[in-house]
Amino acid sequence: MSLLELVQYATLVVLVLDAVGVGTLIVLKAVNRRRRLATERRKREYMRLISRHVAFEYCTDPIPADAARDPAFIDAIIDFRNVLAGSELANLERLISRHGVVRRLIKDLSSPWKVKRLRAAMALAEIGGDETVDVLLAHLDDREPEIRVQAARGLGRIGWTPAIDEIVSRFGRVSPWVRARFADTLIGFGADATWPLVAYVMVNHRHETAGPVAAIRTLAAIGDAQAVKPLMDVLETATDTEVTIAALDALGSLGHPMAAPVMRTAATNPDWRIRAKVVTALGQVGDVGALEVLATALTDESWWVRRNAAAALGAVPGGLDRLYEAVAGDDRFASDAAMEALVDIGELTAARMRMEGGIAAPRDLALISHVEAHA
Amino acid sequence: MARILIADDSETITTLLATALQSSGYEVEVATDGNQAYQMGLESEHDLAILDQLMPGLLGLEVIDRWREAGIETPVIILTGVDDERTAVESLDRGAVDFVRKPFRLPELMARIRQRI
Repeated sequence: MSLLELVQYATLVVLVLDAVGVGTLIVLKAVNRRRRLATERRKREYMRLISRHVAFEYCTDPIPADAARDPAFIDAIIDFRNVLAGSELANLERLISRHGVVRRLIKDLSSPWKVKRLRAAMALAEIGGDETVDVLLAHLDDREPEIRVQAARGLGRIGWTPAIDEIVSRFGRVSPWVRARFADTLIGFGADATWPLVAYVMVNHRHETAGPVAAIRTLAAIGDAQAVKPLMDVLETATDTEVTIAALDALGSLGHPMAAPVMRTAATNPDWRIRAKVVTALGQVGDVGALEVLATALTDESWWVRRNAAAALGAVPGGLDRLYEAVAGDDRFASDAAMEALVDIGELTAARMRMEGGIAAPRDLALISHVEAHA
Repeated sequence: MARILIADDSETITTLLATALQSSGYEVEVATDGNQAYQMGLESEHDLAILDQLMPGLLGLEVIDRWREAGIETPVIILTGVDDERTAVESLDRGAVDFVRKPFRLPELMARIRQRI
């Protein structure tokens, strides 16, 4: 056999294999489509059936005995669970109980099939009640991250506050994605989660980073003022830069003036990232006592610190005067940072309007000429 | 037999409402978005329309505006989200006869419908 014939045969084999592959793909796609359409059709039928049971308590229309095994039935139940209230919701709860839906889903969580387990976890997170608490708690340590997240979500939806400690205690030993989803659940618990999170941060912030940082961010998102004092303590004792930055971020976001004096002490930290965060947080708090700190920060060696300090001065009462002083001052870096902040907050436009109206103050003219010199 | 138009992008809600209304003897038509609801309102007469505020296409209040411009005076009940106080008030200002917050209680909605037909 010549080389040319060999190449021809090889090409033929490749073409045949390609054709088989494409054919298989088409068949699989068609099968999937049929299955999807069949599921949608069954779901629509279940929705009509469930509607009648939900609207009329004594409805006797039969629901198939094995409906709880059908994902279409579970989907329909979840959809109704999210839109019903009052007696209709009670009717739906009775239907769920009568058909052993939760029992079935709990069983599915032990299935060897990942998809089945995941579907069960998602459904339990949506419709599970108090009877599912133990199962959901156990699955906070599931081997599948998505199932851990769904377990936490379910506990959050049920509002089982003892679960807060369980979720928080896992902050340090889960992946960033799971931690972020756990945090979402804790935010849903609101102020009930404040002290467990605070306790976790206080105990762990000196020997861990990721967990405490996530916990501090969660405290900021919850927005409970009770977290301010503990976060001030964290700020004073933290040895980790990330934890310090997270604490500053949270204190700025909580916006309580009580925190300002402690925050100001961090303004001389040797790490520019911390100094940059301090000035932003002081601006968020609107701390009048921080004017000197912010004005000094305008001359910082770091561009970020100068920029953030100038932006913060724009937000603090009395800060505008300091920005205008800096524009007219000798320090070129401070002057540039102040000018940019004044432009950002609309002072340049206002100065130009005052000039056109013939009522411009000397500092308006200084700002305009400074901007034009930089144009 | 009174005719009611239901417009909501949630199939769950339209199925539930249609089931309850048909069982109570009403004739029901269903639209799944604002544009379809507007068109159905133009094409045939309804004794009442139940419109979701947040739908694909035209919003519930926009459907009312367009109907009124076209001379369609069908009474409308607006379905709004639970926290949407402004829409609830605005819907009355813009000609809706009533509003109901989601998730709603079926007996209450049915009573409001009976009151309007």
